[in-house]
Amino acid sequence: MNIRKPIQIIFFIILALLISSLLLLIDHVSPIAGIAELISGGFLTHYGLVATINDTIPLLIVAVAIIIPFIAKFWNIGGQGQYIFGSIFATWIGLELAGSLPGALLITAAIIFAFIGGALWAMPPTLMKIYFGTNEIITTLMMNFIAVYFLDYMTIGPMEGSIAKITHVPSSAPIPSPDLLPHIGGVSTGIFMALAIAVIIFILLRYTNFGYELKLIGSSIDAARYAGASLRRDLLLSMVLSGGIAGIAGMIQVFGITTVLLPQVFSDITTSFGYVGIPVALVASLNPLITIISAFFFSGVLNGAYAMEISFGIPIDLVITIYGLMMFFAVIGVMINLGRIFRRSGAK
Amino acid sequence: MSSFISIFMLLLPTVVLGMVPRAAPIFAAALGENIDQSAGTLNLGVEGMMLLGTIIGFVIDFKTGDFVLAFIVAGLASALLALLHGIATISFKVDQVTSGTAIWFIGWGLSGFIYSSLFGKASSPPAVKTIPTLYIPHLTDIPYIGKLLFGQDPVVYALFITFLVAQYFLFHTKAGLNLRTVGEDPLVAEIMGVNPDLYRYFALIFGGFMAGVGGAYITLSLVGSFYFDMTAGMGFIAVALVYFGKWNPLRVLIGSLVFGAVYVLYLALETYFPTTPYQFFSMFPYIATLILIILVGARAHAPAALALPYIKEG
Repeated sequence: MNIRKPIQIIFFIILALLISSLLLLIDHVSPIAGIAELISGGFLTHYGLVATINDTIPLLIVAVAIIIPFIAKFWNIGGQGQYIFGSIFATWIGLELAGSLPGALLITAAIIFAFIGGALWAMPPTLMKIYFGTNEIITTLMMNFIAVYFLDYMTIGPMEGSIAKITHVPSSAPIPSPDLLPHIGGVSTGIFMALAIAVIIFILLRYTNFGYELKLIGSSIDAARYAGASLRRDLLLSMVLSGGIAGIAGMIQVFGITTVLLPQVFSDITTSFGYVGIPVALVASLNPLITIISAFFFSGVLNGAYAMEISFGIPIDLVITIYGLMMFFAVIGVMINLGRIFRRSGAK
Repeated sequence: MSSFISIFMLLLPTVVLGMVPRAAPIFAAALGENIDQSAGTLNLGVEGMMLLGTIIGFVIDFKTGDFVLAFIVAGLASALLALLHGIATISFKVDQVTSGTAIWFIGWGLSGFIYSSLFGKASSPPAVKTIPTLYIPHLTDIPYIGKLLFGQDPVVYALFITFLVAQYFLFHTKAGLNLRTVGEDPLVAEIMGVNPDLYRYFALIFGGFMAGVGGAYITLSLVGSFYFDMTAGMGFIAVALVYFGKWNPLRVLIGSLVFGAVYVLYLALETYFPTTPYQFFSMFPYIATLILIILVGARAHAPAALALPYIKEG
């Protein structure tokens, strides 16, 4: 593998962080102090590191999920909605079966239901693409907004927990503790599932005919047709997997971290794993193994931003802009031939 | 069913009068996106540009009280984001979907960040006076259509003039033809002596400006204060409307008005059906977008070079 590109991407991501830090001047905070707080709060303190690993779990899974159709240049921006439907289905079955099944079986059932929920929610845009040729970016996005309102309805409607009825803080009833994913030193064991999913999808994309066909479709639809790839089948399968895996991320978040189903606010980046998964996947050049690193890094930046908010009162929304800038510079970093520019300017 | 129809008839005047201001921000963004896409650039960052427009417009109006200045600065700020998108996609040939998504994030984050930095997490949000309606004397007295056509605020009139100019420019001028040629086949345009990059930059900056104006319209005319992520997908609906409008501003305008009506309708229906969970009404605009985009479907003929970077041979 060419070593130049990764080094360039890292260079540009650091550049993006430095540019973001200049925004701290609006809040009269020294950029250097801000960056130091971000790094220590996200990666170096014990509390921060545990939180970073826990946030890496859903982020990694969603990012890996959207990589599958992204490889075929099918832009599934609907990871957020699929994540939400996975969490709704998983919570529902978890509460229905609580007490009647042993924990391990119940968790398995929840994973299956989360997969079904996420995959189902990914179907309308996929079928619309196949049968009407609609633009998937718009349709998958619209499905996200519909999902958010549906989740909102569920948490204050049919699935509202008895405590929530008293406190008026919308949420479902909690998943009983024997059915939750265990923690090791504060870290949810969902991390092992996340890593396993990343490795499995890496193998699927690299060593199977299906993965090869997706890559072919992504580079040239005509070439893929010529090579005998079934576009419809590949697209459908990639979206079933993508939606399903994004759904599993929702399940792992409920059973590992929140223990209840919570409504979402559009603007709340801290629960928008489905959206953040997009830059995470793209910065990793759509490689599921590199995504492990980028998910960890993005999650660290998020928790570092929390630390900045607590220490300096920097609004957490800054982290969304940092994500955007990191993504922006990383993709430019892929396109630029830095070496040539340096050589050219040196030659003058 | 009959009660449904009677409610509909009851709501009709509200919907017709209310749809124009509701349509305005979407149309502003969609008109800009139309020009972008006609030149071959897909601008997915329009949601972020609108969001930046909401906060910049609000801050300038809040500090100076000058809403004209507020709209211009909001437009310029978003045009700056569009310039970033241009540098990435036109000069560096970055994938347009990727860059657009990055721009969306940048604008999204900045809107919340700037607001919280300046106003904190205040419990009662600061407010500005919404821009005044400009009644055109005598003409507003025309029955039925008087108020609809001549009882709007100045920005709506400005938007309508921009629409007329854009429509004329795109289909009746040499420059408009050049721009569409760049969108269909940049190589042919280059052979004709047209600089494709220049046209794409121009289109993007115009699109960014319009998205910013659309965003500012939400804070300054519809609401009067700022809320986080208050566009709630309007930028993406604007992109959908360009597909629906088949890259013709007139059809985009009609689509935007339909959307304006959908927004007013769901707000009104919410009050008429208090027992139905409001979330189902809130889904209206998004479901309507899905239906709209199915209706157009594959029959839409997009500019052939849409979303493709122009890379010179050799």
